[in-house]
Amino acid sequence: MAGEIAIGIDLGTSYSCVSIVRDGRPQVVPNEWGETTHASVVSFLEDGTVAVGNAAKRNILVNAENTVYSAKRLIGRFFFSEEVKKTQALVPYTIVEGPNNSVRLQIRGKQMAVPEISALVLKEMKAIVENWLGEPVTKAVITCPAYFNDNQRQATRDAGRIAGLDVLRIINEPTAAALAYGFGKDANQRIAVYDLGGGTFDVSILEIGKDVFEVLSTAGDTYLGGDDFDDRVVHWLAEDFLRSTGLDLRQNKWCLQMLKEAAERAKIECGQQGWADVSIPGICQDPSGKVMNLEARLTTEIFNPMVMDLVQRTFKVCDEALQSARLTARDIDAVILVGGPTRLPIIRQSVAHYFGREPMKGIDPDQVVSMGAALQATALLGAETSTYLLDVTPLSLRIATVGGFTEKVLEKNTPVPIERSKFFTTSRDGQDRVKIRVLQGESARVEECESLGEFEFSGFRIAGRGEVKIEVAFEIDTNGIVNVRAVDAETGMQANTTIRLSSGMTESELQASVAANEATQLARGG
Amino acid sequence: MVPDLFTFAIEAEAVAGLLDGLDYFQVLKVDRGASLAELKAAFYRESRLYHPDRVFHVADDALKSNVHRIYKRVTEAWSVLRDDEKRRKYAADVSGPQRAQKLRWTEESETERRRAREEEIGTTPNGRKYYVAGVAALERQRFDEALRNFKAAQMYEPQNARYKEKADEAARRARGGAEPSP
Repeated sequence: MAGEIAIGIDLGTSYSCVSIVRDGRPQVVPNEWGETTHASVVSFLEDGTVAVGNAAKRNILVNAENTVYSAKRLIGRFFFSEEVKKTQALVPYTIVEGPNNSVRLQIRGKQMAVPEISALVLKEMKAIVENWLGEPVTKAVITCPAYFNDNQRQATRDAGRIAGLDVLRIINEPTAAALAYGFGKDANQRIAVYDLGGGTFDVSILEIGKDVFEVLSTAGDTYLGGDDFDDRVVHWLAEDFLRSTGLDLRQNKWCLQMLKEAAERAKIECGQQGWADVSIPGICQDPSGKVMNLEARLTTEIFNPMVMDLVQRTFKVCDEALQSARLTARDIDAVILVGGPTRLPIIRQSVAHYFGREPMKGIDPDQVVSMGAALQATALLGAETSTYLLDVTPLSLRIATVGGFTEKVLEKNTPVPIERSKFFTTSRDGQDRVKIRVLQGESARVEECESLGEFEFSGFRIAGRGEVKIEVAFEIDTNGIVNVRAVDAETGMQANTTIRLSSGMTESELQASVAANEATQLARGG
Repeated sequence: MVPDLFTFAIEAEAVAGLLDGLDYFQVLKVDRGASLAELKAAFYRESRLYHPDRVFHVADDALKSNVHRIYKRVTEAWSVLRDDEKRRKYAADVSGPQRAQKLRWTEESETERRRAREEEIGTTPNGRKYYVAGVAALERQRFDEALRNFKAAQMYEPQNARYKEKADEAARRARGGAEPSP
């Protein structure tokens, strides 16, 4: 349909951004106050409305236990995972265990699933565009880190659905950035996208052949981001304060929140001008009731050594990506920086040193991903596709075998969509079901891989042991999402599939969430 | 571009129907001797033709499903043929009497490839290590060093015919014996 608009949403750990394509060019859509990036923060207000974005971020202090941030760190994770434990120790809102080892947030007496929180951020992004255009939009491409596993991708797609969006595609953030960079350039280049976000780090190596964007390899660390840089500054401020006063500010979640905010600001300022003064008057009281102030000066000389190991960790990931692509740093024609933290001089300098060339200038690291997503959204709607994204799966797909071991079905960095079949035979007389546990990761051990769920197939012929051969097809689609189906190899009859041990939301939960999201009023206020 | 789409749908249906009888070279429309660059160019060409995004907006489910099926085979073909070792084995498989069963790279192909590699350079880690070092030394014309390494490899795998053959070659060349002329 001509004139139909599809939006591109960069759903970030710390900030989100939304774009559309107009007259063939991608553009970021600002909200009514002219802001182009929006804190991925959701604050549940007393009157039942919900504030999202930079207004909500201001509530982290005053409405702490009802204000959710960093939800992306939790999305698609199991309750017992390391990341959930780590987040639990840091945030003032309450994380509880839901059904099937899932994560739920306890807010104002109500339990919410993580995709429901992200859905409110998406609802705000949708509202920003609708407000700007004066007409409703429903179709969207949403981005996720390249290194996201299947659980995290499915949860992101669920979030889109809950927000009332028709999610055309989930695409990888670095791939989106490459698309925005290479669109209309008619270039033949090998590029590296270095994407350091608030909570995740990705690097993708792409080859652009005019209209074809082929991802050669991708590698990442979903536990490394700008937040970790902030934490180092928090640690430094808190230790300093502890030495001079004997008080540990980290023991109090409110003080810790003040520290975190000051640390983030100091990190950014220090990056811009080489130094930053931190001043938090009245951060706490000493045991005698005396009000204490925190004063400190952060300089580049203090900051750089503090984060050097984090920076080095990103290059280990770059090494891995280049090795997978069978290239060296010198083979790269252009380096694109994505994500707010890449504004730090230490990152720019280290990246320039590693690749032996200056990163591209004139690309806004906060906006480029959503612009690429908007381009892809528009390409999917249009009758004449002008760009082709050839992406890969970031993790090997595996199945559990005996004794806690796994067997590889599809190698990481395999182009998608792709399908691989495996044959299974029944091991007992009269066996009426076959169970297959599917995982993602690079380890031969089950416990070191991410579990995607257990698929149970039934409804095939019942016969003697070894007589029934079942073909199980493992597919990774263009969203990077895994689909598994089974047929009786002899009769071609499709088996019924039940998925268990999955942390995802059930269909009925999803439908209830769609209704709840629709009924939720977004608070408008500066 | 409706007429184009119509022709495309007919073509996609025909290709999807033939798909299970094609080998990967035929899927990518290249000949057996194609270079890696030619393979890649073919992968790009077929991607421009059969990438599912091209028909994303189309209402015709049969067309979508055909295109999807073809494209998944294109990525499969590329992911096998871009790997030299896999490609060699695959090309041999589809030239042999078992062609019909070997058109798609399977788990069996994977296991056989691993076994072939072990046969080629050894079954023990130490044997392989010394063998590889011996081959490297031989290339640099350091025949005594090569001989030492092949002998060491033989200690771990006394039955390995290739180790013996290479040790003999190194010994011969260390003595200054000329290569038998081809």
